[in-house]
Amino acid sequence: MIRRILSFAAAAALLLAPQSATAGWKAIAQGKPIAVAKTGLTVTAPSGVWNRWSLRPSKKSELWTKDGLALNELAFYSGVTSGEPIFREVDKKNSPLPKFNSKMLAPDVVALFEASNRIALKTSLFSVDSVEPAQFVGQPGVRFTFTYSVQNNDLVRKGEARAAVLRGQLYMITFIAPSIYYFDNGIADARAIMDSAVLLPVAAK
Amino acid sequence: MLAVSSLLAGSMVPQSSAAPGQEASPPVTQAAYVPKDKDERGLWMMADEEERQLRTSNFVIRDPAINAYVRDVLCRTIGQAECAPIRLYVVRTPYFNATSAPNGMIQVWSGLFLRVRNEAQLAAVLAHEYVHYRDRHFLLLWRELRARAGSATFLSMFGLIGSLVAMGQLSTVFSFSRDQESAADSGAVYMLANAGYDTRESALVWGQIRDEADATAAARQAKSRKDKNGGIFATHPPTADRMTALFALSEKVKANGEPVNGVDRYHAMLATLWPSLIDDQIKLNDLGATEFLLASLAGGTWTADLLYARGETYRARGAAGDFEKAAGFYREAMAQAPANPEVRRGLGLSLLRLDSADEGREQLKEYLRLKPDAVDAPMIRMLAGG
Ligand SMILES: [Zn+2]
Repeated sequence: MIRRILSFAAAAALLLAPQSATAGWKAIAQGKPIAVAKTGLTVTAPSGVWNRWSLRPSKKSELWTKDGLALNELAFYSGVTSGEPIFREVDKKNSPLPKFNSKMLAPDVVALFEASNRIALKTSLFSVDSVEPAQFVGQPGVRFTFTYSVQNNDLVRKGEARAAVLRGQLYMITFIAPSIYYFDNGIADARAIMDSAVLLPVAAK
Repeated sequence: MLAVSSLLAGSMVPQSSAAPGQEASPPVTQAAYVPKDKDERGLWMMADEEERQLRTSNFVIRDPAINAYVRDVLCRTIGQAECAPIRLYVVRTPYFNATSAPNGMIQVWSGLFLRVRNEAQLAAVLAHEYVHYRDRHFLLLWRELRARAGSATFLSMFGLIGSLVAMGQLSTVFSFSRDQESAADSGAVYMLANAGYDTRESALVWGQIRDEADATAAARQAKSRKDKNGGIFATHPPTADRMTALFALSEKVKANGEPVNGVDRYHAMLATLWPSLIDDQIKLNDLGATEFLLASLAGGTWTADLLYARGETYRARGAAGDFEKAAGFYREAMAQAPANPEVRRGLGLSLLRLDSADEGREQLKEYLRLKPDAVDAPMIRMLAGG
């Protein structure tokens, strides 16, 4: 997932462990509501093992990890509006990302996520493995799972996501980790965080 | 420089497994040609390491019939003896390209099979890559690169292997010089002629790539990038000069007897691969190129698969009028293939977006009836109204 959202220099910084002072990681307090991506999307972590990265991949997203983004990545997307891509553009002139539309149905959101990953990661080994209705931020939304690999790095990664469209904006949390060990190790925590997600009003700036 | 030590360790691992579909080819390091000096050995080592990873990669398409066919076209074109040490890998990457490495590994990207229209065009691309290998373009390029690099660069800091590791994949980092590209182009034309292929196809393939870039741009209401060297054309720019030179040469260099382009054999061998390649293509958010490629595959005869792909392409873009168009294509597909569940799904979801909810739900119910164990069945069941 690293190449999807970050520049090469930023990716190099990520090779450092989250505990490292230079990487800009900050521990997430256990059991305390946290507003993510400076928006109303608010979650509560069940354990004190998560760290948030000070550099956000885009204005409307934020990354958390336990052991480093390559090993467990929790990504928050908050308030994506019509006409915006869900990731930051990687190569806009040659391979522009597809854009969100507020009228999208749940399967359309899943397809948007799949296509965005295929383009940003330049991979064709991406499969959606399940799509089902689920509550998210107090709304009827969708839960989906997926598997992918990135070329020149054959590690198989698994992901699980929850998404909902609320007042025309997309809210989504995805958990991605290597299919061996790390996915199973982190998914319970990730689901608890997804379950805890609420949308609180943001004070006017 | 962790990667350096793993590279060195990797080169000592016995290379026992051959890629399926090419068991007959010799192991990596036993090619007929042996690297002569330190530079070349370094390049080979790096390429061997890349190949070692590729051999077990999930990205390699293992289908024996397709591998055998592509290899047969290569060997027929460059000659059986020259072909023996070459290892060929078909890699699932949805863009037009092929790459060669100094150790005799050639990679063909799967997106090429949607874009090359006959066997002669495939032969032209394969022969072109072979010339890069045969004439050791990597080594020349490497020496030039090193000569130009100042003492402060990473080249001198890490030495040869370290630099190569730092630069990443050999076959994608290097882009050959203009001279090397034209040498590979013209070398390929002579090989095509010897093998009895229509040499003009070597130029036509570039024309198609340029037309596709125009189609991409038109659908995006942007300026065509066919003369830009970046992006997917970074290693093989489809310039007008290149095409003109190839046309000129193909007028002079021709096969003895009636030249063939092998279009029927090409279609027969690769048609089974197309549906999955089309699926990869339609997820690229490039409606213009996808329409261009689908039209060329259809050749005037729109099958249910191609109509479905068109529907998916317009539905994915979802601009004004796209759902109406998509629904039209799905309906045409449905007329030919009423039992295809995916067509029903696409039509149902389009109709829901068009506020034809009742009919949309009926189509989604039909999808679930035809494919009860679909991965998205629970979600679609809800949209279909239970
Ligand atoms: Zn070339």
